[in-house]
Amino acid sequence: MDFAISVHNVSKKYGTLLALDKVNLKVEEGKLFALLGPNGAGKTTLLRILTTQFEPTSGEAFVLGRNVVTQGEELRELISYVPQEMSVWTDISGYENLLIYSKIYGLSAEERKNAIRDSLQLMDLTEAANRLVSTFSGGMIRKLELACAVMIKPKILFLDEPTIGLDPATRKTIWEKLKALNRESGTNVFFSTHYMDEAELYADEIGIINRGKLIKVASPDELKRSVSSDLVTVESSSEVSRSAASHLRKLRDVSCVESKGNTLEISTRSSEESLGAIVKSLLSDKVVIKRIATHKPSIDDAFLRYAGTKGSAQDTGRLSELKRIRERIRRG
Amino acid sequence: MKLNEYLRVILSMIELEIRRIMHDRTELYLRAVQPLLWLLVFGPIVGSFHSIPTGNIPYTDYIMPGVLAQSTTTVAIFFGLVIIWERESGILKKLVASPSPDFAIVAGRSMAAGTRALFQAVFIIPFAVLMGVKIFPNPLYLISALILVFFASSGFASLSILIASILKTRERFMGLGQVIILPMFFGSNALYPVNSMPPLLQLFASVNPMTYIVDALRGLLITGNISQLPLDIVIILIFDAVLISIASLNFKRIIE
Repeated sequence: MDFAISVHNVSKKYGTLLALDKVNLKVEEGKLFALLGPNGAGKTTLLRILTTQFEPTSGEAFVLGRNVVTQGEELRELISYVPQEMSVWTDISGYENLLIYSKIYGLSAEERKNAIRDSLQLMDLTEAANRLVSTFSGGMIRKLELACAVMIKPKILFLDEPTIGLDPATRKTIWEKLKALNRESGTNVFFSTHYMDEAELYADEIGIINRGKLIKVASPDELKRSVSSDLVTVESSSEVSRSAASHLRKLRDVSCVESKGNTLEISTRSSEESLGAIVKSLLSDKVVIKRIATHKPSIDDAFLRYAGTKGSAQDTGRLSELKRIRERIRRG
Repeated sequence: MKLNEYLRVILSMIELEIRRIMHDRTELYLRAVQPLLWLLVFGPIVGSFHSIPTGNIPYTDYIMPGVLAQSTTTVAIFFGLVIIWERESGILKKLVASPSPDFAIVAGRSMAAGTRALFQAVFIIPFAVLMGVKIFPNPLYLISALILVFFASSGFASLSILIASILKTRERFMGLGQVIILPMFFGSNALYPVNSMPPLLQLFASVNPMTYIVDALRGLLITGNISQLPLDIVIILIFDAVLISIASLNFKRIIE
């Protein structure tokens, strides 16, 4: 078995709304995979199909070689799922939450003791363990949810927007812990997010999803490279001559030079390597440089190119989703 | 899935409920107010008219099992609110993605409600005794009555989970909860004998599970006459089995 997840032509309809449109995807074992897309893109729907919560309208999906529809029972023993919304009981303590979950999953008394202790430690919750969850901050609640999920040592961890509404520092700690877990135990992490930076920093592979369609799957580097080359912008005190621009075009690695009045936009394979040559050429043409800036393509650019829309600008999220995010932010 | 795995999930859910009750008992105290008013105010006043044929039993004693049944099933009927809260948070999604079968989740949550109802009964019975209600002096009968309260409330909790999975929102649920509880209470033998009702209401009472619960509790707690008990138990167990099954078949609908 080579793939942790393989999805073939999966579609999901809610009434007339097509939430997923013939999605095809393969994720290798041991990978951190990010499903990147705006609210309402179909991320949650795909996650919930993969975690056997409901069946696709058409198509087939396999997780760890098991069919999510016909072998759901077997599969549920091997995976963990953390929904986007809060998913712990708030009127009991953090420790009690882990205890009840471990009992539901059927861990033996001895396994239970170790598993609870280890997962509390991993998520830095040992000290707060006996406090009521209603006194926890948003970040602590998220860590407790992750502790519940890792406690049962799943082969794949499905996380729906794991850091939504959390402050940057907490986001960073949570990701470092998930990265470490992935590195040490080889646990697959399959997560959805609409934070570009998170996908770029922490995922081995990114799947861009928009309006139910999975548009592109690639590593963060590949994605960035595939969209455009680096851009060097030069501002001069006066209009740049045509000959200066044509000299630049002859430089190695420079693919395109656009001149707009006092500004030049130079596309190059690598801005670090070409910058010296560009400046030298401009100086020899007596161009007075007022300002020079370089821009590397980001995942935002890739997203814009493939999804045809800004990641955050298009917000078709439902009211309930908005309420949940607000709730998280309030808690955090 | 083997039987012991079902049992394991059910016991975990009951343990969860006991832990919640240990952390916060406010709901139990507040819910105890209403049954106490029935026993403290309604019972003695209506009893003083001697207008309801209760045999040789004082009226407050007569309604005590009914009040007990009503207040414990109320706890169960409103348990659906917990399920709706768990739907709005992500808990139900997580449970559905866990290895526990839907049937065990529904049965477990229902019996958790049964456990909560049992705590309620443990409040009401001693209070009734303090008020002078004569409980039938047989500890075995008392224990049987508590077991009966547990299973009856679990059945009503399944009904509540079923309703929650259809209605899905708190507001609708609150409305329907009231619509169910009062007719069931008044359309039973809780406050007056069934044969004193108009024929149409008698017919309703004969299909109303509350009638059988009250009858069994009255036999066990007050009169000591348990000739009807086997029938009552069969009806209550059928009620439980049917509702837990329907509610678990419907359960996935709640998270869609």
